[in-house]
Amino acid sequence: MEVLEENDEEEQREEELMKALEISDEPHNIETKLSVDQVFVPSDVSDFDWSSIDISQLPSSYKTNSPREKKLLRIADHYLQQYTHLCPDRKPLFLYPVNECGIKKFVSTTVRPTLLPYTELYHWDGCASFVCDYLTMEPLKSPLIPPSLLYSPTTILKYQRGNCFDFSVLLCSMLIGAGYDAYCVNGYATHDICSLDETLEVCPLLRKPQEVPKEIMKKSNKYRVKSSPDMQSKFELQQEAKKKAETEATHKNEERGEEKVTEVEKPTHDPLYGLRVHAWVLVLSGKREVPEPFFINPFTGNSHSTMDEHFLGIESVWNHKNYWVNMQDCRNGCKDLIFDLGDTVRWEIMLSETDKPLQVLLDAEEENELFDRNMDDTEEEEEDTSFAMPPSWVAPIQISPRGTEVVEVREWFKNREDMLDMRELNKQTQLTTEYFSPGHLLGLKVHIYKSMEPETERVMEFYNEARVDGLQKRAENASEIKEYFVGRDDFKYFQHTEFGKRGKKISVAGARTDINSRPIVQMKECFHRNLEKPADEDVAERVFLITEEMIHLTYHLKDKYITASKKDFFKPTENYRKQSEIMTPEMCITYQAGSSVKDKKLLHLYKLLQELAEEEKQLKQQVRQSEAEVLNILKIRENEEADIKLTVSIYNTERNEKRKQQYEATKNAMEDEFPVHEEQDLDYLAPFLIQIGHPEKMTKGQVLRLRDDCLTDFKNRLIAKANIIQARFEKEVEELKKKNQQFQENQSQLSREEEAVFLADYSETMFCIHIVALRLNREKQTAPQKYLALEEKLRKDPRLAVHLSHA
Amino acid sequence: MSQSYNSIKPNVIDDEMLQKAVEERWPEDIGKLAKSEGIDFKDVTELQLSFRNILQIDNLWQFENLTKLQLDNNIIEKIEALESLVHLVWLDLSFNNIEVIEGLDTLVKLQDLSLYNNRISKIEHMDTLQELQIFSIGKNNLTALEDVVYLRRFKKLRTLNLTGNPFCEEEQYVLFVVAHIPDLVYLDFKLVSDTTRELAVSKYHYLIDPLEHEEAQALAQLEEKLAKQKELEYHKTAFVEYLNGSFLFDSLYAEDTEAAKLAYLPGVDDLLQAYRKDFVSVCENLFNYGLKEYEKREAEVSEFYKGLHEALTANQQEGRKIILDFENRNKERLDEIHHATSYNIAESKRAEYNEDILQLSETLMTLEMQTVDQLEELIKDFEKNIAVIASTFIENVKGMMAQCRDLENRHHEKLLEISINTLEKSVKNELDEDLPDDVRELLVDKTTLVNMVNTSHNVHLLKIDMRECDILSNTYRWQASVTGKAFQNEIDRNRNRVKEIFQYIDNLQEQLDSIELLEPPE
Repeated sequence: MEVLEENDEEEQREEELMKALEISDEPHNIETKLSVDQVFVPSDVSDFDWSSIDISQLPSSYKTNSPREKKLLRIADHYLQQYTHLCPDRKPLFLYPVNECGIKKFVSTTVRPTLLPYTELYHWDGCASFVCDYLTMEPLKSPLIPPSLLYSPTTILKYQRGNCFDFSVLLCSMLIGAGYDAYCVNGYATHDICSLDETLEVCPLLRKPQEVPKEIMKKSNKYRVKSSPDMQSKFELQQEAKKKAETEATHKNEERGEEKVTEVEKPTHDPLYGLRVHAWVLVLSGKREVPEPFFINPFTGNSHSTMDEHFLGIESVWNHKNYWVNMQDCRNGCKDLIFDLGDTVRWEIMLSETDKPLQVLLDAEEENELFDRNMDDTEEEEEDTSFAMPPSWVAPIQISPRGTEVVEVREWFKNREDMLDMRELNKQTQLTTEYFSPGHLLGLKVHIYKSMEPETERVMEFYNEARVDGLQKRAENASEIKEYFVGRDDFKYFQHTEFGKRGKKISVAGARTDINSRPIVQMKECFHRNLEKPADEDVAERVFLITEEMIHLTYHLKDKYITASKKDFFKPTENYRKQSEIMTPEMCITYQAGSSVKDKKLLHLYKLLQELAEEEKQLKQQVRQSEAEVLNILKIRENEEADIKLTVSIYNTERNEKRKQQYEATKNAMEDEFPVHEEQDLDYLAPFLIQIGHPEKMTKGQVLRLRDDCLTDFKNRLIAKANIIQARFEKEVEELKKKNQQFQENQSQLSREEEAVFLADYSETMFCIHIVALRLNREKQTAPQKYLALEEKLRKDPRLAVHLSHA
Repeated sequence: MSQSYNSIKPNVIDDEMLQKAVEERWPEDIGKLAKSEGIDFKDVTELQLSFRNILQIDNLWQFENLTKLQLDNNIIEKIEALESLVHLVWLDLSFNNIEVIEGLDTLVKLQDLSLYNNRISKIEHMDTLQELQIFSIGKNNLTALEDVVYLRRFKKLRTLNLTGNPFCEEEQYVLFVVAHIPDLVYLDFKLVSDTTRELAVSKYHYLIDPLEHEEAQALAQLEEKLAKQKELEYHKTAFVEYLNGSFLFDSLYAEDTEAAKLAYLPGVDDLLQAYRKDFVSVCENLFNYGLKEYEKREAEVSEFYKGLHEALTANQQEGRKIILDFENRNKERLDEIHHATSYNIAESKRAEYNEDILQLSETLMTLEMQTVDQLEELIKDFEKNIAVIASTFIENVKGMMAQCRDLENRHHEKLLEISINTLEKSVKNELDEDLPDDVRELLVDKTTLVNMVNTSHNVHLLKIDMRECDILSNTYRWQASVTGKAFQNEIDRNRNRVKEIFQYIDNLQEQLDSIELLEPPE
């Protein structure tokens, strides 16, 4: 049933397509069919139903007309009446089509100048290519009359489709926003332009390479091999060519009929030539360094000269501010048109408000606000003449990244201890690429992976200079490891290991060392040429087929030789081992290029085989090590990611935790030591001990005397100190008094400066007195405490403690 | 050792002994294998012949690739029959009865030489052993400490053993040796300390300094000589040797006694000077032209070989590609044939493969034929160009030589004139100059004088002709050799390639045939 339904759908689609084609009034045009087809194929529904669009979310300005807009419509109506009266034979103007909500809107208000925040959309070509790439082209319902509907650019952007008018309005909005003096044009163009038929254009991919290929003048060697002589018979070739020409001729004759048909389709024979309505964009010179006016075809995004013969006539042009009707003759296309919109003879303006159409563009909103205010004042008086265009009813154009996929995410890092510089996540391939600075463990440089699971697809690149084994790159997947080396002493540059599936089957052959690891099926090594050895002793490629118990050696090419020497060893099986012969000629197939002496001695071969066996063993081990290394790196990486640490410069003492800790530790140690020092350095007892001559042991009397001496001494010192401070204090006070007296006496004679000096002096002295008083005070308070502290200390002093504690 | 000399019969190295010695060195399994297919002495790299009472070294010539030879603890009296062992790196002749160092001249790769415990009394005959690193000559009869100076020439000598020689008793022995061999690291099994070295230098610098000076001078002289030789070599390859200067002019007069006599005539000296100047300048021109032409020839040849090389590389790559294609295509072919389920399939596959091999052979041969054609053309071009270069060179040389001859003729005429004038003057006794007697004798008869001048002239012309002939013949020879070589190379290359192709095809065919044998026909 489902199949049937699908069929139905398809049929429907086809029908719709047919309808669309019929509407396009082009029943014979195969090429249009194709192009239409192509345009419609990418969309999910072949014919988009505009009536089904959701208009409920649109702002109210879309659904109603403001008073000013209504007035504008009235003016436009009036204008149209005048116009039809004056030019009865011209087509009705494209003035106020209906928008998506069914409301009549004046075309100028549909233009919504917006500068989009993308650098690519700052230039006209960027805008044009965006519009033509982003939107899907729909043909006009009727190619002969302008559409009755004109949707807002926002809606067009939302549904990504539209006709040439939609394209032009959107592009024009963007261009005006970007500062161009751009206008929408309603006119006539050739069929190719209207229907986006580029079949007559040169493919842009072919057009491009116009760069002159740099000819490196290589000094040609005069001894150059001439290409091999052409052995083909000239006569035969001629005959063949003749035959071909004949068949072609007949073919052509057959085709000629068809050709005539296709020729008819050429634009010159278009029956509707010059009648096909099209809309495009005109950019005038003057702004954004545009040297001369040009057209932009919104379907292709290409610029055309105003002389372009594809554009056959202009009915009217408009921007967000005004509307002009072309009064010039378009019999010769647009060639002779003069784009001076200020010329009222050639261009009939609708709103005569603008005396200078090239007014510098301000921010649209602001400007409109300004106009609003102006309007309020002048509206009543000069209705017709100076009516300014009301602000656009269209909401600001926004290009949301909706629909575009995130292709790549890049993250940059700094100061990481694991040296990670950048991480790139390609969303399409799901590959993560991590770039490391030099200095990571094991010289990791780049790590490309899908998942951190071991034995999955990954590539690791290394700083080969930093590695002993010169490993530059290791690419791994479930069944193989490829390793690339640089600058090794043994000239190895490539190693390829293939693994079998884990399982019991092959475990006999490969994995006897380690059940967990994948069994090795094949190991291949490639070597660069070692010039110290003769070429046919210098191995170029060495393949160990583990399961087949074979070793293939391929040697380097000798000079001018085209076949490489080869040796294929079949490893002796256990059966062979038991026999007396350890080496038989069958075990080695040799091909020695360029020498007929076939058999080297078995002895040599045996020795070689033994060496190879040894190498194989080592290589296996190495492969296992490689695997282990990968695991190790993965583990390290995981740990690093789990606990990201930052490196901090050793000079950055605040952030460098380690340093800080160290510093604190040393500081603590210092502090621990310091009191001891103090005690030792400031040994209160020392002078008194000297007096009694440092006896080993002291009697109690001595001790007591010592203590008393010490205490009295300290007391004296404290008193002396207090006295000194007191004396200072008194002295300062005295001085102050004196100065004050002097000042009082001489005050009248003192100049201003002297007074200032005195005052400064005075305040300073006061400050000193204040400080000294403070100190004196503190001394008085602390002295008894200090005394008691010393007494306590002495009591605890180990030298005296014995006696004093008892006392 | 010496006691055994009396009791046991002295031996000579013979095949049996060698065989045994060689076999001894192998582990069991290889030994068997080797025995079964016979030993090739050429493959032996190490040989030990110790404790065998060998009196005379012999029969070692077959061991061409020997690098290590131990002949210690024998009763050898003379070093001999070692000339062919040119790859020898290690030679042990310790504990023998050798009296003189000799017969080592060809062993230029020798690094380690032991002559310990012999009867040598002088260090000599070792000049060629420039690679020597370890030298042991302890327990010998060396008496003169000055002998050590001989060892200075071994720039790589690092370890030296001299213990047990009579001169070791001398007080200054160590310092003397260290001073004379400054790079020595070990002396008599001991590391030479820096202090010893300093001491030695300070003590013996009066001896060492002049020695070093002498050596430096000798070296400088040698270098100068080499440089000169090289330049001359260069000139010779340009065929203009001895033309930069007055060599040729001088040679004209070298054996010309008459000219020497005539030179005494008044005015001849000036004439000669002028002649010499002109002649030398012509020679100089010729010389410069010769060098220039040489560069041109070299450029031509190198360009040819560059082009040839390019062509050959391209050809090699093409051939390689064909073969690789073939190999990739037929990797599994043999296996398939081998494991084919039925004989018919195997047979058809075999035929298919066979066809493919033939096809390959065809392709390769076609390629080769094409290459031969191309290269032939190339070489012919080259031959033509070389011929042009050679002929222009010859023509120009001839022209310059003609200039020389002209000069000579003019000089001759003037000389004749002067001679006759002088003769006339002398006849009239108007000659006021004092002339040597033998010259005076000449001025008697006109015919003798003219004859004499003529002989001189002829000699000169002959010399010039000879020189010209030299240059020309050298040029012709060069031309022939260069083109000949190119042709010969091409012929060799072609033969090698054809041989290679045949061999490769044969090899493939053989493999195929051998497979077929494994598949019994049903």
